[in-house]
Amino acid sequence: MQKGLAALLLAALMYAGFRSIGPVPPLGPILDPANGAWASAAATNFPARQFAKIPGLHDSVKVLFDDRGVPHIFASSELDAYRAMGYVHARDRLFQMEAQTRASTGRLTEWAGKRALEVDKESRAIGLAWGAERKLASYDKTSLGYKALEAYSDGVNAWISHMHPRDLPIEYRLLNARPIRWEPLNSMHFLSRMSLTLAMNDATMRRLRAQSLVGKAAADALFPVNSPIQQPIQPNASPKPRFDFAELPPPGPPDKSVAQSVDARERLLAALNLGKNSETRDAIGSNNWAVAPSRTAGGHAILAGDPHLDLTLPSVWYEAHIVVPGKVDAAGVGFPGMPMVVIGFNRDVAWTFTNTGSDVNDFYAESVDDKSHPSKYRVDGQWRPLEKRVEKYLDQKGGTIATDTLYFTHRGPMRREGGQWLSMRWTAYEKSREPDNYISLATSRSAEEWLEKMRDYVAPTQNGLVADRSGTIAIRSSGAYPIRPGDGRGDIIRDGSTSASDWLGVLPLEKYPSSKNPPQGFLASANQQPVDPLQNPSYMGSDWYSPWRAMRINKLLAENSRITPNDMRLFQTDPGSARADAFVPMFLAAVARADSAGNSDADLREAARLLGQWDRRYVRTNHRAILFETAMRELNRHTWDELIDAKDSTANADLPEEQALLELMSLPASEWWDDRRTPVHEDRDALVTQSLKTAYAKLKAEKGAPDSTGWLWSNNRHANIRHLLRLEPFSALDISVQGGPNTLSPSGGQGTQGSSWRMVVELGPEVRAWSIYPGGQSGAPASRRYTDRLSRWTLGELDEVLFPRTPADLPRSRITSTLTLTSR
Amino acid sequence: MNARDVVKVVFLAEAFAVTTYGLGWWSVPVVAAIWAIVSSSPVRARVAALCAAGGWATLLLLDMAKGPVLTMGTQLGAVMNLPSIVLYLLTLVFPALLAWTAATIVPSMRKTGTQPAT
Repeated sequence: MQKGLAALLLAALMYAGFRSIGPVPPLGPILDPANGAWASAAATNFPARQFAKIPGLHDSVKVLFDDRGVPHIFASSELDAYRAMGYVHARDRLFQMEAQTRASTGRLTEWAGKRALEVDKESRAIGLAWGAERKLASYDKTSLGYKALEAYSDGVNAWISHMHPRDLPIEYRLLNARPIRWEPLNSMHFLSRMSLTLAMNDATMRRLRAQSLVGKAAADALFPVNSPIQQPIQPNASPKPRFDFAELPPPGPPDKSVAQSVDARERLLAALNLGKNSETRDAIGSNNWAVAPSRTAGGHAILAGDPHLDLTLPSVWYEAHIVVPGKVDAAGVGFPGMPMVVIGFNRDVAWTFTNTGSDVNDFYAESVDDKSHPSKYRVDGQWRPLEKRVEKYLDQKGGTIATDTLYFTHRGPMRREGGQWLSMRWTAYEKSREPDNYISLATSRSAEEWLEKMRDYVAPTQNGLVADRSGTIAIRSSGAYPIRPGDGRGDIIRDGSTSASDWLGVLPLEKYPSSKNPPQGFLASANQQPVDPLQNPSYMGSDWYSPWRAMRINKLLAENSRITPNDMRLFQTDPGSARADAFVPMFLAAVARADSAGNSDADLREAARLLGQWDRRYVRTNHRAILFETAMRELNRHTWDELIDAKDSTANADLPEEQALLELMSLPASEWWDDRRTPVHEDRDALVTQSLKTAYAKLKAEKGAPDSTGWLWSNNRHANIRHLLRLEPFSALDISVQGGPNTLSPSGGQGTQGSSWRMVVELGPEVRAWSIYPGGQSGAPASRRYTDRLSRWTLGELDEVLFPRTPADLPRSRITSTLTLTSR
Repeated sequence: MNARDVVKVVFLAEAFAVTTYGLGWWSVPVVAAIWAIVSSSPVRARVAALCAAGGWATLLLLDMAKGPVLTMGTQLGAVMNLPSIVLYLLTLVFPALLAWTAATIVPSMRKTGTQPAT
């Protein structure tokens, strides 16, 4: 009897040890103290000296890890350096690398089963994997970029092959999975994924939706192709922003003719995950700026980079320094999964990027031979075969849980939405050589040379900012800008049945927005419209962010003619707001007018008094920013009531950029001010004062007295940095940060996007650099390097970057670990 | 328990630790089964359980000396909705049960009672 029970129990224990039971992962690999989770925690502290082998290395490579966890890779050839880079990336970020690849290729079901099926279907439908495969197939296999991807794969696979079971990241244990082998294609997948992340919202959609509600004239005015506030990336000789405010037509009758088009396109975008990809449009924007020697205290050019992306743990970035004597000596950050320094500096040049946000994808209504199961599509009267891909979705055990047939025209993936087959062309699918572009940047000796290396860069379009030791500062919005037929606009659905709808080519380099050593002595970009349409009317897009951040940084840079690196650091988290500067006086003026007219009351006067106390800085200790933000939300909701679904007022509406609201402020009697949901007819002052008063009342009710902690900015906006699997214990949540919507370090919405890397580089005789990102070098949640930079990032501080020329130049006291890589 | 028995127990605990280190967690019932075969003690299953837990406890202590095991315990416990102490206890109970069950079902090759109890 006892033996029988024991046998049963043993069988159950063995089963629980080897297999998952429901959500509980196999216990063996978790509890095993020699090879399991406990051991993996112990393994996060690397020994002072390590040795490892990477097949294919031509010479030994020395990697010194400094006390910030940054590897300084000393190799005798570039390919050896990239092998080492693959090795250290895999050692620190293996799970992240594979997770990104799976997200891009739609293979998350193999980890999570059916729960991930819809996400995977979206990833595959958008053709990310298809595009990456096409790109790699056409890639020049003799190029340094391709060889670097291969070398990098060697390094990653060397780690995977030789790692001890205790080194398996905890996430694999929880998922009961093993790492896949790395291939160059995986790096291309990552690039595709990044292109998707940086694909802006679709302005066409927002305009058409508005058109269906308030007519074409009003919709075109609310969602203009050109930004109504012009302070472009390419300076336009105007020291201050130019307000190109046009007459805003009143809301017209609904245009039902576009309803079907809106519906089809909306569903397509949603299906392709190209819709609203940002919780607040601004939070995923980025900043960069550079100052010429004439305006710096030290007489050297200074550059600041500050890309805003999804904030995750581990960070999207990994910091490294590569030294190949006579060839490369560059430091900065790259993406785990790619072998290059994407943003960084060398001994002569520093560079960084912001997203251009140009319109680089178009939709075509295709004619197919069979509405349900097409095999051909018609172009110029001729039937062309559709490329088909049957996609299988596998579960954790390799069983097929779903299949899907994807169709591709010569333009790109084709999908049926609303009874219409729509295909999409996107520059991210086009032939390109981004790995070579990025890799070559590290060897630039001057800004001019750097720009030359970005000459044939394709996607995603980026505002590349560069400064060099000779004092040159330059910026160019690089990438392929399609030339469309007809009016050249890319924000319409084109007729796919004719090749006349296809792109005619791409804009020549001379048409790219760019500037070098402008008289103003500085350059800045913050995702605003890159070039003044009066200077260059070429259509590049129509979805430009409000230029509040650009206005603020231009103001800060213009006001200071002796800028130091520390000033640059302070600018990166500057709490000031051009948006608040624009709107707060308008609230106060409206209350003053209401007061004079006898239309105010004690609550309104008190609300105005409180708002007037605000210095318009979003610092943590402030009690008034929340009043402004609540009032702005009320004002937007009531002003644009015509654009909000009457049946579901809580639904997220696509409201115009607040530039339109500012424009409307000069039209006190415009019909837009009337909230049609109320019995009275409001004008500007009525709505503005009502918004402020309502905000005050709501805040008092929800958060208490105006000086109570409920009104503290630090209690109202937080950064939330989630683990890739969204596991809370591995996340850093509710982090109080300085900044608000549209400040240089924006804090908006759920706080899951923001400043992903801050860098300041001074290009003096010896290059000096400072940097930080929210997180740490290690991807292991238990490691002290998982979040060791977070507190300093939160405070807006930067770490000084160590930049030794040789291993001997790195102070011994700063070396925490040495890794020697050999081929045998 | 005499000195020889103590040595045996220490040796067995070490065997559990070493084979776990070298082969993996699944070696615990294998070692326990071997122990049961060669041992004639009437309490050999309990001894195996105790030694397996002891062997793993030693490894766990070594891990704690080397790295942030407590942090991992807190995080992992939260992920699995368990107090971290439960995970530590499981780390001792799991090998103990594996060893006890394996040692229980495997018959001794030596007759019980003919040797002094261990």
